[in-house]
Amino acid sequence: MFSEEKQRDFCPIHPFAQVIIDRWFFMAVTASICIFLSENLLAQKDSVQLNPVTVKGFVPEKFMSGLKIQKIDSAALTQFRFGNISDLLSLYTPIAFKNYGPGQLNTASFRGTSANHTAVLWNGLNINSPTLGQSDFSTIPVAGFDQLSVQYGSAASIVGSDAVGGSILLNSNATHEGMQLSVCRQQESFNNHQMQLTGRYAATLNDRWNFSGKTNVYSGRMNNHFPYSERKLYALLPSESSQRGIVQDLFLQSKNDQEISAHVWLTSNRLTLTPDDQAGRELTLTEAYRTMLRYRIKDLTFRTAWVRDVIDYAKGDYALLDHAVTDKFSSRAEKDFQWNFKKSESNIQMKIGGEWTHYRSQVAGYGTSHVTENRGDLFMLTRWQATPRWVVSANMRQAFVTNFDPPFTPSIGTEYELVQDLNYSLKLKGSWGRSYRVPTLNERYWKELGNPDIKPESGWNKEIGLEQNYLSGANHSFTTSLTAYHNRIKDWTYWNPSKSYHVENLQQVLARGIELQFGWRHHAQLWKYGTNLGYALNKSEQEKAYDAYSVDIIGKQLVFVPMHSGNGNAFVQYQNTRLTAQLQTISKRFSTFDNSQFLNGYTLANLMAETTISLNKIKMRFQAQANNITNTFYLNVRNNAMPGRSFALSLTMSYDSKTKFFL
Amino acid sequence: MKKQLTRLVAVTSLSILAWSCNQSDPAPKGDYIQGVFVINEGNFSQNNGAISYFVREQTTSEADVFSKVNGTALKGGVQGYAAVGDKGLILVDNSAAGLDKVEIVNSNTFKTEASIGAPDIENPREVVIGSNNIAYVSCWGTNADYKFKTGYIAVIDLNTNKVTRKIDIAQGPENLVFNAGKLFVGTTSFGTGQTLYVINTGTNMIEKPIPLDGAPNPIGIDANGKLWVNAGIKALKLNADSYATEATLTMGTDASKSAGNFAFSNDRKTVFFVLSYFDAAFASHGETYKFGVNDAQINVTTPFIKRNFTGLTVDPSQGLIYAGVTPSFAQAGYAVRYRTDGSLVDSVKVGVAPTGFFFK
Repeated sequence: MFSEEKQRDFCPIHPFAQVIIDRWFFMAVTASICIFLSENLLAQKDSVQLNPVTVKGFVPEKFMSGLKIQKIDSAALTQFRFGNISDLLSLYTPIAFKNYGPGQLNTASFRGTSANHTAVLWNGLNINSPTLGQSDFSTIPVAGFDQLSVQYGSAASIVGSDAVGGSILLNSNATHEGMQLSVCRQQESFNNHQMQLTGRYAATLNDRWNFSGKTNVYSGRMNNHFPYSERKLYALLPSESSQRGIVQDLFLQSKNDQEISAHVWLTSNRLTLTPDDQAGRELTLTEAYRTMLRYRIKDLTFRTAWVRDVIDYAKGDYALLDHAVTDKFSSRAEKDFQWNFKKSESNIQMKIGGEWTHYRSQVAGYGTSHVTENRGDLFMLTRWQATPRWVVSANMRQAFVTNFDPPFTPSIGTEYELVQDLNYSLKLKGSWGRSYRVPTLNERYWKELGNPDIKPESGWNKEIGLEQNYLSGANHSFTTSLTAYHNRIKDWTYWNPSKSYHVENLQQVLARGIELQFGWRHHAQLWKYGTNLGYALNKSEQEKAYDAYSVDIIGKQLVFVPMHSGNGNAFVQYQNTRLTAQLQTISKRFSTFDNSQFLNGYTLANLMAETTISLNKIKMRFQAQANNITNTFYLNVRNNAMPGRSFALSLTMSYDSKTKFFL
Repeated sequence: MKKQLTRLVAVTSLSILAWSCNQSDPAPKGDYIQGVFVINEGNFSQNNGAISYFVREQTTSEADVFSKVNGTALKGGVQGYAAVGDKGLILVDNSAAGLDKVEIVNSNTFKTEASIGAPDIENPREVVIGSNNIAYVSCWGTNADYKFKTGYIAVIDLNTNKVTRKIDIAQGPENLVFNAGKLFVGTTSFGTGQTLYVINTGTNMIEKPIPLDGAPNPIGIDANGKLWVNAGIKALKLNADSYATEATLTMGTDASKSAGNFAFSNDRKTVFFVLSYFDAAFASHGETYKFGVNDAQINVTTPFIKRNFTGLTVDPSQGLIYAGVTPSFAQAGYAVRYRTDGSLVDSVKVGVAPTGFFFK
């Protein structure tokens, strides 16, 4: 208090503004040095070209060199179109999920970090709940987006806050085909069912503008009428959930390199625990209204978004709703540059931009009628293709938050092709970067337990990896990747259970691990085969003592982070019929910080069969699915049993006008 | 020949076994005949409460006896344990509605014998054993609105393992004391109740409500046959028949502190208790004090033990004081043993959040 008053006396401008000016000055100087240097180069060498570049992606993945990015293929997205992204990610990635039960809260632990350390981006916008700083993956259906990538490790300099363990990137795609309509319905065990209607359409408006869009409506209900109330004497908690939503994407693309797009995603998830118990039932209603408008002209992009997150909770009497609503207004501008150097075959790409976000939150637990917060971000991303074999990325970001001081976040990454033959390539990659996490609104403003003086978490992530691709003959392709990482996070925020869950910067966590992935594909004329196998070793331990009994915690594995996890899938396809097997296995997970209690490890296997029948413009796709085929018994974090074997059948009817145009 | 010999040995040993069984009353069999049972509440949202066990001579415990014996955990927080004869009652409080229960085990083997669930048992708080193989369990009922309007005492007949009666108690029945046909019922300090109820266990009716000026917490009957009750930071000595207040002792003057974990010494002439409070940083602090049942005042300037405990009980057979230490609800706690002069003996690592002890 004293120092703040002192500052006010001597500082002619607001201290927050002063910080912005200082850092903006630093960034501006760095940026102008780069531009100045390149202008000089331009003057010296005639061969340099200044090219405008088309940047279509929502997330600048090309500046993530040295980091591992996994693209989930469209076949998997189609198979999981009725699921939530956690269903898919737990089978295709080593992300560990902390699940409270079927259809219930499900949070991610990416590379041994906490639920607050995974950024979820929808078309480039962080959609983690601002109050909780995390996403409940049971409320994010696969139906809501067209493209899914998983980026491993800290990418704070590119993505911003929360990207400590990794990022999940959800994107919408413009369609380039005439008109497609589809209706699908899935019927599942336990009286669960889902329905979706999708329309994709595209048209040429005039000689300059093309229009395309997508409308998707989804609705699902999980009644969870299990034929048994317990498994191995562990109860299955009765629960019901329903989910519905609408996705609307519109794209206007011009031949003179302009694009306007609008994106809306409204989603609602209603979960009821013990619904038949009138006095004890618990309702959690999670709603999100996400809207975005984006305009790009050549290498300049503007984006503005409004997101409203609503969480309602009630127990027993639903008239007494605990209502929490947060509005987030966000605007972003960015500009791309590229310089090509003909002689050395090298080029530099750069993206400079800024983002401004205003939060307004009304939460009963905050004790005030509402809280507001402003956040700003300035970033400069650089990619230097030094030689055809060698790429270097250097990125930096500075975030600004009302009454809070996030650290400056630089990162550097590189990729080098050790071997580059026609049939074989071996790439070495490495990255080193700082990560940060802006505390959640709950952590700062929750009445009594929140801590307005909380320090930012700060981590340094280092990783190194090898990536190998091999083509055998014309039909077999093999990919292997090996990655090792080391991520130390200081001032890890912790709702301290020994201080009535008061928020403190107590912990220091070191997450280390190795990830191994292997893939094989074989394409013959009528037959296709493929497999993907992954293994992850995740050691994530608390390093620092903070009270007399925390010695019992030091060096222990973090709760609900499995040390070993594996996943695999394999498919056989003949023409339009495909059989897929999926497997996930995780080792035991400790449930207390001193590792005195744990949940046993388990292995789950699923089988899927699908076939598509085409009748000119109409297609019918059947999918049959058996989940947990071995009827494995396993527990969720509430210590309740998870369901055993279950089945699902789905039918998708689609119409395709088969008129195409190309941009 | 060899077969015959084996048969002979078998028959002989069987007869010896039969003979030895006939010689005296069958001694209880099981791995848990004598020792210390620790009630670990667990972390509420994780439903991971447990009963830990150790023999008095040892310093390591079995963290979760029920799970070890039955191959399945209790699946809830553990609110209490009491045993009579070969029956043990474990109060299990699950974070979800409808999954609470009283698990009845064989007290010597810890094998489960019966389970009484909702709607008979909802939010169980404490168990005491009465006479005639009857147990009493205080329950908050469904209490979804936390207004404590649905509470009751469940009367359990241990011959049939059934709830035979519910006695309605407003304001969240909590601590219980049974003595000579009377059940004294306190209510939770989370509610607004300021009445101690006396239930006649012959009629199972409330015989007398005793108004107090704080949340009532019956402590027990002392060596002189007086009933001690705690309300706020006061300890009251009542006549066990007329319920007239014979003495009022205050535990300091700081009403922001709360008194709890009352325990009688074995001669029932001394009461131990913990006076605790939360500091500005929300850490729980406290010290342990004592007073004699004939004292005119309580000395709260010199603690008996300068530590805060989440459970306190005196072992009736050895007289050592067993104190529960809960570092947090997310890691294992400790049972710390003290002599009656307050000197430390040793400590035993137990389950999560030890809040009480049962001795056999």
